[in-house]
Order: sequence, then structure tokens, then C-alpha cells
Amino acid sequence: MLVLGLSCSTEQRPKGQIVYRLNADPTTLDPAYIVDVTGGAIAAKLFNGLVRLDAELRIVSDLAHTWEILDKGCTYVFHLRDNVSFSNGRAVVADDFKYSFERVLSPKGRSPNTWVLDKILGAKAYSQGRADTISGVEVLDRHTLRIRLESPFAPFLQLLTMTAAFAVPQEEIQRLGPDFAVHPVGSGPFVLQEWRHNTELLLLRNAAYYAGVPPMERIRYRIIPEDLTAVTEFELENIDVIGVPAYEYSRLRSSKKWNRLLSSSQGVNTYYLGFNCARPPFDKPELRKAVARAVDRETILRTFYEGRGRLASGPVPDVLRHWPAPVLPSYAPVYGTGRARQTAPGKRDIPPAINFYVNADQEVVDIAEIIQWYLRKAGIEVKIKQLEWSAYKAAINNGEADMFWLSWWADYPDPENFLFPLFHSSNHGAGGNRSRYSNKEVDRLIEAGQRSEDERLRDDYYMKAEHIIAEESPWVFMWHKTEYTLRQPRLKNYRMYPIYSIDKGTEVSF
Amino acid sequence: MLIPLLLGITFITFSLAKALPGDPVYSMVGERASPEIIEKIRTELGADKGILRQYGGYLQLLARGELGRSYYTNRRVAEDIAIKAPQTFKLAFAAMLIAVPAGLLLGLSAALSRRRWVDRAISGLTISGLSLPVFWSGLMLMFLLSLKLKLLPPSGTGGLQFVLLPAMTLSLPALASLARVTRVAVLDIRAMPYIRTARAKGLGDLRIISAHVMRNALIPVITVIGLDFGSYLSGAVLTETIFGWDGIGRFAMEGIIKRDYPVIMGCILVSTLCFVLVNMMVDLLYQYLDPRLRKR
Repeated sequence: MLVLGLSCSTEQRPKGQIVYRLNADPTTLDPAYIVDVTGGAIAAKLFNGLVRLDAELRIVSDLAHTWEILDKGCTYVFHLRDNVSFSNGRAVVADDFKYSFERVLSPKGRSPNTWVLDKILGAKAYSQGRADTISGVEVLDRHTLRIRLESPFAPFLQLLTMTAAFAVPQEEIQRLGPDFAVHPVGSGPFVLQEWRHNTELLLLRNAAYYAGVPPMERIRYRIIPEDLTAVTEFELENIDVIGVPAYEYSRLRSSKKWNRLLSSSQGVNTYYLGFNCARPPFDKPELRKAVARAVDRETILRTFYEGRGRLASGPVPDVLRHWPAPVLPSYAPVYGTGRARQTAPGKRDIPPAINFYVNADQEVVDIAEIIQWYLRKAGIEVKIKQLEWSAYKAAINNGEADMFWLSWWADYPDPENFLFPLFHSSNHGAGGNRSRYSNKEVDRLIEAGQRSEDERLRDDYYMKAEHIIAEESPWVFMWHKTEYTLRQPRLKNYRMYPIYSIDKGTEVSF
Repeated sequence: MLIPLLLGITFITFSLAKALPGDPVYSMVGERASPEIIEKIRTELGADKGILRQYGGYLQLLARGELGRSYYTNRRVAEDIAIKAPQTFKLAFAAMLIAVPAGLLLGLSAALSRRRWVDRAISGLTISGLSLPVFWSGLMLMFLLSLKLKLLPPSGTGGLQFVLLPAMTLSLPALASLARVTRVAVLDIRAMPYIRTARAKGLGDLRIISAHVMRNALIPVITVIGLDFGSYLSGAVLTETIFGWDGIGRFAMEGIIKRDYPVIMGCILVSTLCFVLVNMMVDLLYQYLDPRLRKR
């Protein structure tokens, strides 16, 4: 009865508060240092950049109301709004962007996001300590910023939607030092009110937000590591939106009550089985293609994955591809005969067991075992090696694995983001190209695409690059995962977005 | 004695952590980072130096009374531990508060009704308590008390209503082992000649149990309590994860997974310290309970 006395499992909550669940505490809320999606999604509500993405993945204005692209794509001039302030009351001006960019690239800092801004003229000289300022960033007047690039870079505006390009106030950073990471001050629609690490974050709406006061008064993020617990909290109506855990999907899908409250978003991601192309046995495309033919992706996606995704037809997700998709080798079952071993030209080069690295996530291990089974049917023995995440990452970055399972999620919605980091030969290892794929022609095409101002021409370069990559099979291109969330019926205007930075929290209401 | 022990522990943990495969820098920089940045961060963390020099650096830090900053969050490890340790203590204490009286009571009842159905039932219960994993019993308790009966919140860190569910879950194995130890100890003591003497003096059952049996049976019981409490103080990873409790166990676990060496070292140091202190207290209690152990 003691228990009854203090019971309140459905908690009393303030009106106008929406509650989300996070499965881990964000590492930092300092935009210069954010590399996780969780941190990025919260930072998007606290800060603004020059431009942002809308729900249709188009570039729209944010703190810059207009901009011009000059000199064949080498110069960008941004005209800033004059009615924007940081939450400490000071107006946001062009100097703030200059400061923020210099901070990311600073030789004294250790921001992992320098790649976002290093296309700017003089960025490298500045970050290596050879210059006092970034020569390509100039403040023309209080509200005009000119950015010059080293060479034209077509997705430059997309880069500016990322957290590393958000405006931060210099005076707060000087006042707070490293504590800015936990007491962030920005110009966004919400202001961080409280952060109880590993427990919850509370955001209050910014009544002075330039684009209008958000309908929700507060956003609360509760940190709940365990999925089952989060589902319980949701069923008790303590949480408004949760990501749907894989094992709950079919139950919710077939439930009359919940089915209509599921939202989905076609993920801008690609799941793949990567090969180490830099050494035998996978240094030649023949065996890689034999593996691709031996694995029935479609059946795995339909059964094990319960159709929560779309079959990939190359590295670039369908939503970003404006050209005909490449044709991938189709599934050719060879039960029990070991024909793949016989048909693969370098059959003597196949070691007795190929090592297949996966991280120790149960879903991934299950998929790996299914793939192992398919390959055994085709006469290819693979040995699964499970490692937990940080050991796994070190192993694949260093090229220890023959085969590995990984996915790539867009930083920004441009095909370039699925080609340059993943297949350009300058990015081997930690840069993103973990299959250590090298092809001079592909390098050239990707670079030409990056430089090209004409969209049709650019698509043509990307198409050619993607077709060569698909033909050479440095990966088995598996699928693009669809993500689902479940919401409470009282939510209005809720929408799920494919990229973390889109949701500013200014739409959803009760 | 404490200082060399802690030094030994730090050295062993440090070498073990460094010997593990994996590199924290890769997780710190995200999915695409230039080799220059990786090198820069490595240099800044001192990861490019030899292991002995790194260990020396850590000892210097300790000598200044610091535990360093987390590689990932850049927050002071000591400050984070200062927030989490009281939560872990609260949970451990609450669990013991449930486990000790319930365990003693069950053990005593089993001993007094030896080989009758009460004894058998209790023994069945204690075996399940010991063998059921907490992630199962925790989820079952959550299902029943939160989802169905709506009595307690399923997760969160905070006051009494939040601590009950994880404390009940955590108390189960301790309760079960306590009950078993108590039962055996009580049976042993009851067979002692001095109990017969007490009976011959005409003392009542209650008096015999409270003054003679229990006091003597407490020595092994206190040992078990000390060990359980000590281990709970170093954090209960599974329970803390299931119920979203912000304690040392989860903190340490996340540190280990991400190879956040300052966090791992700080947690191990604090846990060791707690464990040693609890056991020292147990030793003191022995002397109180058993006059023969007191020094003249």
C-alpha cells in the first residue's frame, strides 16, 4: 500500500510539452564538435545556419534571406536577415559566421568536422596555422558575407546546412570555454533550459525566434537506453514519439490502434556488404560479383527485414538519383555445387576461410549468419568475426577485414555524399572509403561532378561513376532502410524527416 | 594498505584497457575524418606516447587530485562521478533495504520449518531468485507494476517512486543468496551445544533465536551482505540500463564500449574504493558481533 500511496506512473506534465525519446545522451551540443545524429537533431533546434533543408530536401533560406552564386560557382554572397538575435539578445551579424567557421577550422581546436568547410579558399592554410584568417571568408558589411571557394564545389550549399556551419556567439564561447558544449547558446527556435546527463534534456521555445514562435512551449528529451522500456513509457503515454524497434514493427503494423499512427521515412542511407578491394581475395571484381550473385538480397529484405526498406540498385539512394539506375548482378542460386568457387577465375586465390567482420549488434549478427549460409551454398566459406563497435571500427578502418557489414547515412542529400567519401581513392579508411576501392576514372568523374555547375552535366558524371562502381562491385549493395516512428494520437502536424537537421521543431503541435 | 592496492588496480586496469582492440579516436571523429585530424587528436590525448609514459601521466593527474576529462564529452570525470555515485548508492542502499530484512526472514523461516513445505517453497523461490537474470525479472516487474497496474514509473532517475522498481529487481539475487546463507547458518548454530544449554536454562524459543541463534548466525550473513552491497556500489549495469537509472554502472559500461579511458579509470577507482571501504566496515562489524575477534 506504500506503493499505492506514491503511485503516479502516468506522470503529470505541463501543457504544451512534447516528449521524445533518445537512446543515448548526446555527446556534445557544441555544433563544431557534433558527429552524432542525436546531437545534430537537437542542435538543429538550438542554432541556425545560412541556409537549411526543407522537407523535400531542397535548400531554402535560413539566416541568409537570399544569396548569389558568382564566378562559375566559386563565389557565394549571402545577404543576412537583420531581425535575428542569439538567445542572449545580441543580433546575429555576418561576423558571427566568420567567427564560427574559423572556430571549426582553428589549428588550436580539434573539430572533427573540418571537412565541411575545407572547400573554402584559404581554409587549409588557416587550419594548418599558416594564415591568421580564412582568406575566402569576407564580411562585406554587417549583413553581407562573401565566401570564395578554392574551386567550384556543387554541393557547397548543402554542406552549409550541417551543424559545423551553424552560427555561434563568440562572447558566450569565451565566457564558457569548454562548457559551451553543455550550455549552448544559439539563435534557434528553442533554448536549452536544463540538461541532466543520461536522464533528460529540456528545451524551451524562443519567444523571439525570427521565423515566429513555435507552437510547442517545451521539448523534453528523455534518455532511455532500453527499447522495451521506451515502448512501455510510450504505452503509458509518457512519451509522444518513439522510433519503432525492429521486433515491434509487425505487432504495431497489424494493430488497428497503432497502424495509422506509424510514420515512415524512406531513409537516405545505404546498407552494404563491403569488400576489401586492396588485397586478395577480393582485389578483383570476379569473386566480388560471385558473392553478390550468391546472396538473395530480396528474400532477406522481405523476410528477415519484414520489408522495412527498398532494394538498392547502387550506392546512391533512389530519392537522390535523377538518372537510370545501374543493373546489378541478379541472384543466381548454386545449391551445394560449389560452382562459384569453380567459376571464379582466381579460384586458387580463395583462402580456406574469408573473414567477415561485423559489429556485435544482434540484428547485424543475424544478417551475417544468413549471408554466411548463402555463401556456403555457393561454395564460399566465410568466418564471421564479431567485434564491439570501437574495435570493429578500428579493424575496418585499418583494412583488416576481407568482408564487412556497414551502412552509410547521408550528411546532406546529394549523390556526391554517396560517391566521394565512399569511393574516391583519397578517402581510404577513416575517410569513408573502407572498401579501399580505387579507380582513376571514377575519381575523375566524381571530381568533375563536384566542380560542375550544370545540374544535367553533373548528373551525367555521377551516373557514369555509379555505373562503373556498380559494375566493379566493391560492395554488395543491399538496401536503403526505411525508418518508422510511432506517435500519440494527440499530435498534430507530426512528420518524420529523412535527415536529422531538417526538423526545427516548429511544425508539430497538439 | 589502501594506497598500494589502488595503485595496483589502476595499473592493471590501465594495461587491460590499453590492451583491448579498438581506438577511441575513430569513434570521436565520426564517419569521415581526415588523417591529419586523427593524428592531431591522438597527439592531444597523448595516445602516441608509450604505455608507461601514458600511465605515468595518469598518475600525475591523480596526484593532483583529478580524474581527467572524458575523451568524448570533454566533461570532468570527477564531476560526472559526483552526480552518478550518489544515485548508485541510493539504488544499492534501497536494494539492500529490501533484500536484508526479507532475506533474513525467509532464511530464518526456512530453517525453523526445516524439511517441511515452507522450507521447500522458500528454497524454490531462492533458487529462482539466484538463477533468473535481472533483465528478465526487471522487465517482468516493469510489465506488471508499470504497464498493467500503473503503480510505478517504468524508468527515470529520481525519488522513491523511481527507485522502487530497480531496487526490487536488484534486490532479488541478494535476497535469495541471503536467505540461503541465513538458513544454513541458523541450522548450524541450532545444533551447537550452547543452544542446548540455553534451552536447559529454560529460555523461550523467541529469546533463544534472537539472542543466541541470530547473533551468531550473523557473521556469515554479514559477509554476504558486505559482498553484495560492495558489488552493487560499483554499479549494476543491466538494472541501470533497463530502468534508465543514471548510475556508475551505465557510465562505466559506456566508457568501456567507447574506450573512454579516463572514464573507465575513474569508475574503477571509485568502485574499488567503495568495495574496500564496505569490506572494512564488515570487518569492524565482525568485531562487534564476535568478542573473540576483538584485540585486547
